[in-house]
Amino acid sequence: MTRRVTWMAAAAAGLVLTVSGCGGAPPAPGGGNSGGSQKTGANANGLDWNKTSDPSLKGQTITVLWTDTNGPNGPKAKLLKQFTKETGIKVRELGVAYNNLYDKVMTAAMANTSDIDVVEMDTIWAGQYYQGHIAVDLTHVIPKQVQDGFTPSSLGSVTYQGHLMAMPWYSSTKHFYWNNKLLHEADITHPPRTWDEFRQDSLIIQKKLGPKGIYASGWSWKQAESLTCDYVGMVGAFGGQFFDKNGHPAFDKGGGLKALQFMVQLMKDKTVDPASLQWTEQDVLNAFEAGKIAMMSNWEGVFPQVNDPSQSKIVGQADVGLLPGEGNVVSASCTGSEGVAIMQNSKHKEAALAFLKWIGSREYQLAEFQQEGQYPSLKSLYNDPALKKADTSHTLAKIQAQFQYGINRPNAPGYVNWSDTLASALHSALSGQMAPDKALQKAAAKIEQAIQNENS
Amino acid sequence: MAAQMATRTNQKHRFTITRRQWRDWGLAALFLLPTVYVLAKIFVVPIYESAVWSFYHYNLLDGTPTRFIGLRNYQEILASSDFWVAFDRTVYFTVVSVAAELVFGFFSALLLHQMFPGRTFFRAIIIIPWALLTLVNGLLWDWIYQPGFGALSVILHGLHILGPHQDPVWLGSSAGIMNFVAVADIWKMTPFMTLILLAGLQSIPGELYESAMMDGAGFWKKLRYVTIPQLMPSILVALVLRLMGAFRVYDILTVFTGDPTTSVSYLTFNYAFRYFYLGKASAMAWFSTLFILALIVVYIWALKRNADAQ
Repeated sequence: MTRRVTWMAAAAAGLVLTVSGCGGAPPAPGGGNSGGSQKTGANANGLDWNKTSDPSLKGQTITVLWTDTNGPNGPKAKLLKQFTKETGIKVRELGVAYNNLYDKVMTAAMANTSDIDVVEMDTIWAGQYYQGHIAVDLTHVIPKQVQDGFTPSSLGSVTYQGHLMAMPWYSSTKHFYWNNKLLHEADITHPPRTWDEFRQDSLIIQKKLGPKGIYASGWSWKQAESLTCDYVGMVGAFGGQFFDKNGHPAFDKGGGLKALQFMVQLMKDKTVDPASLQWTEQDVLNAFEAGKIAMMSNWEGVFPQVNDPSQSKIVGQADVGLLPGEGNVVSASCTGSEGVAIMQNSKHKEAALAFLKWIGSREYQLAEFQQEGQYPSLKSLYNDPALKKADTSHTLAKIQAQFQYGINRPNAPGYVNWSDTLASALHSALSGQMAPDKALQKAAAKIEQAIQNENS
Repeated sequence: MAAQMATRTNQKHRFTITRRQWRDWGLAALFLLPTVYVLAKIFVVPIYESAVWSFYHYNLLDGTPTRFIGLRNYQEILASSDFWVAFDRTVYFTVVSVAAELVFGFFSALLLHQMFPGRTFFRAIIIIPWALLTLVNGLLWDWIYQPGFGALSVILHGLHILGPHQDPVWLGSSAGIMNFVAVADIWKMTPFMTLILLAGLQSIPGELYESAMMDGAGFWKKLRYVTIPQLMPSILVALVLRLMGAFRVYDILTVFTGDPTTSVSYLTFNYAFRYFYLGKASAMAWFSTLFILALIVVYIWALKRNADAQ
């Protein structure tokens, strides 16, 4: 009897597994698309830039997954209604926090679902979107003259090995912010132009304002992507490079090593708020607007918060300019520009393309700057009187100047892994657990190994 | 002989399934099938698939072809320094936090077992830390551990344990973080231990204590010879559950640090859902699962042997 029940149970389990669709072996990567190279070209994708106004698209609904935590009454949701009004294409918005975005995009791709049509793409994901067959290659879909209308840095941010993986959405780099009042109190007449000057100024500020509990600078040097970002900018400033021309890690020597040595020196000088090792960008901004640090590096969109008396103690005291350079390098800054991409599994690709076209239009980019302070990816807008009029903080020219010195992080498929490895090494050096050269050599060796594993 | 025959007849009678029983079974199976299907799809299939995937090179996003590679994922994990660092830290965290939770939980349960005014109130509020979301608990302690204005630094400065110019970065190193995570976890999970042990304490017959008292046993002897042996089944349950929970530590760490080598689960998550090395992540998950299973088997065996010896 026991045997019979066992057999019955085994048979039932087998049946359930079979019925449940448990094939065992993993499916091909890319949500069921066969491996090999990406489909490219207008014909291969069935997409045509000139057919985005086709009447047949009216009434279709596309789902857009991007960063938006303001809900259905926020500025983005209002802009989306405008798109529907103009094109007849309805938009279902899935607004999430940035930190949840990557997981949601990848989960949708793994599930092979066609529920999502358009997704946000951070600059560092371009390689994954291409090699992982997540998004449609737009290289031959978006006409060359349209592509030429975007700033080179925003276009570069959404391109992987010559493949355009998204419509450039907005421009972004890190910038240098300082507190004029604190610099004035320390008798510093102008913000530093080189990192050497920055260090000397930091020592002066620390000596004069340190007793008041103020630090010369604060940084987002928690072991996370924010640390890698700051390091990438520093590497550029010190004339280093992430990889050599043969694709091998090169940050452990030359400018890359100098950059980390400089960062460690700042920590040793005790001019950096030690909490920096625990901070991300928002923590740095909080300290800056509390008047606890005199200088910082951060992304755009700082001024509304810094000049809001309900949140800030330094209203009207902050200014922005170029991040310092070193030697022949005027300035260097990590880019954070993003794009919007069409999912490979989308069943409404042409309608999605119409949406991308709208995102890249003057109308949308201007409205988004006016309503959310997001800097356009369209070149022509920077000379547009309407944009200048909307620049209430009068920082447009300064912000735009930094865009000329953007340094892209590598956007190969393995980047996320490499960045984690690098951030660990950088943090070890900054917290004094490892010498900068040893930390970088260790990271370079691990990244080299990871590249070999990916290629094997 | 007659008795044997009667027994066999009884057994035969007992194991003969009537048509009606078959029909009842069929109906029961029909009702159960949707639930079994859903559970199989959600639990059984992923477990089975992850076991299969652990033998494949299956990187979702780097464009490399999926292929069978036998035990290579397991070999690479065992040769990975990151994995062993994460493993050591996880074991350290598990031992420290579970041991402290057991000790604190035991004495809290003893205290709440006594009669005193406000006992019900204290029994109710002790649940609050446990009821908090782990992430919320993480954010709370992250604030406490902030250098400068964080509560820990402020209190230590106030008590003059830290000098005016001392401002430690509590979460500055990954090795040190494990201690601070353990404190946060102990604060949150001690009530869980307390509640389980309190339930156990309430089931110990009062006569045992009366007998012990008549034999002249004091507080510690009653504890040693009555309370702890009688409480052993509850301790076992609480320990096994907490060991499994603590070994899987993940979410609180994501608040404190971006270093995935602070726990095996964190590292596994990163391999699976940040790098999308699904084959290697599956192997890592199976390694952890087997380790936890082995731990539980050994522990239960040891306790059973202990019970048999008594």
